[in-house]
Amino acid sequence: MSKLKKENKVLDKLKSVFNLSGEVKRKQRIAVKSDSKHVSSILLFLKNQQGFIHLNHISCVDWIEENEFELVYIVWNPKTKLTVLVHTRIARENPVMENIDTIWDQANTYEREFREMFGIEFPGLVAPKEFILEDWDDIPPMRKDFNSQAYALENFATRPGREDAQDVREVIQKRSGEELPDFAKKYSRD
Amino acid sequence: MSEIKSIGIPTPEEIKQAQIDFAPRCTSAGRVNDKETQGMVEHILNFARKHSLFVVAYGTGCGAIEIPATMTSRYDAERFGIRGAATPRQADVMLITGYLSTKTLKRVIRVYEQMQDPKYVIAFGSCAINGGMYFDSYNTINALDRYLPVDVYISGCMPRPESVIKGFVKLQELIKNGNAGNGEAYRSDLDWYRKNQQKVIKNWDFPDNYNW
Repeated sequence: MSKLKKENKVLDKLKSVFNLSGEVKRKQRIAVKSDSKHVSSILLFLKNQQGFIHLNHISCVDWIEENEFELVYIVWNPKTKLTVLVHTRIARENPVMENIDTIWDQANTYEREFREMFGIEFPGLVAPKEFILEDWDDIPPMRKDFNSQAYALENFATRPGREDAQDVREVIQKRSGEELPDFAKKYSRD
Repeated sequence: MSEIKSIGIPTPEEIKQAQIDFAPRCTSAGRVNDKETQGMVEHILNFARKHSLFVVAYGTGCGAIEIPATMTSRYDAERFGIRGAATPRQADVMLITGYLSTKTLKRVIRVYEQMQDPKYVIAFGSCAINGGMYFDSYNTINALDRYLPVDVYISGCMPRPESVIKGFVKLQELIKNGNAGNGEAYRSDLDWYRKNQQKVIKNWDFPDNYNW
């Protein structure tokens, strides 16, 4: 424990100020889980008080079984070389998340991408609606319930000879005799 | 009329006689009309076209990175007369270098339609042939020749500069035999191409007709 002194200090500080759960993952890495309402204040606290001045990345995970999106904000302190991952979950139906491009300008780009690829709305986000896709008229394509192959078959002309394209997961399962988990069967190509 | 009387300006009679002599060979606009001569002219034109392939500088997908290698000193494509052109109106060849997203397809069609005849299309890699590894992608087309006429396909993922040059040599062969150049076919089958293009490009805002 004494080795991870710096990390535990930051985590304890966070725990004393906010109501959150978290752990030190390994050297230089701290992960905290919080309610989506408090994310912006946690990030502001980290930026202004703790020296985490750099937003590395924001990522989004679609947990379709739990009917939730998970957003992960990764911030970095250049002096102590520590990284904090702020995990938060929002409902999958009508997802709304707080806009943080007032804290870091570069968050604007990530939020535009989430709006287009996952359909998450960020109230107060000033940016053109179209980001990468053009004239998109289906459900946001990065959601797990979007069937990319069916969309491609319906919209794009295909050349004969691709019918035997197999699901890698199923081929490996057949070879190894390992059983597929239930949630994977649900998205099977057959 | 058997002897040349003078080397000065031809007399009106001489001009009349010349018009009668060359009538089957010329149209009123002075163009060569007869098949044999036309064939000869085409042969010379094809020879010239074959050795001056100007490639429009438009890279799509990952294959565009093979072009600098092909053009520069090691593979030196200019010894075949292949070089870059800045604008589509000055170019002869368009390269589709790899996968084509639907967003890029719109621009590619505009570029292709602005090129002057004769124009040739070379498609690179398995993505342009049948979708390649992006066969189930929601944003890339799978078979290029449904949207644009293609002269030469080069297989590979990605084709190395040797294969690119081989593809160009094949195109030169086709040009020499008069089999390349699909601008006319594209115009005559425009309805079919437009139908396929409009299926992919949903917000269609092209001009109604070009001045071909």
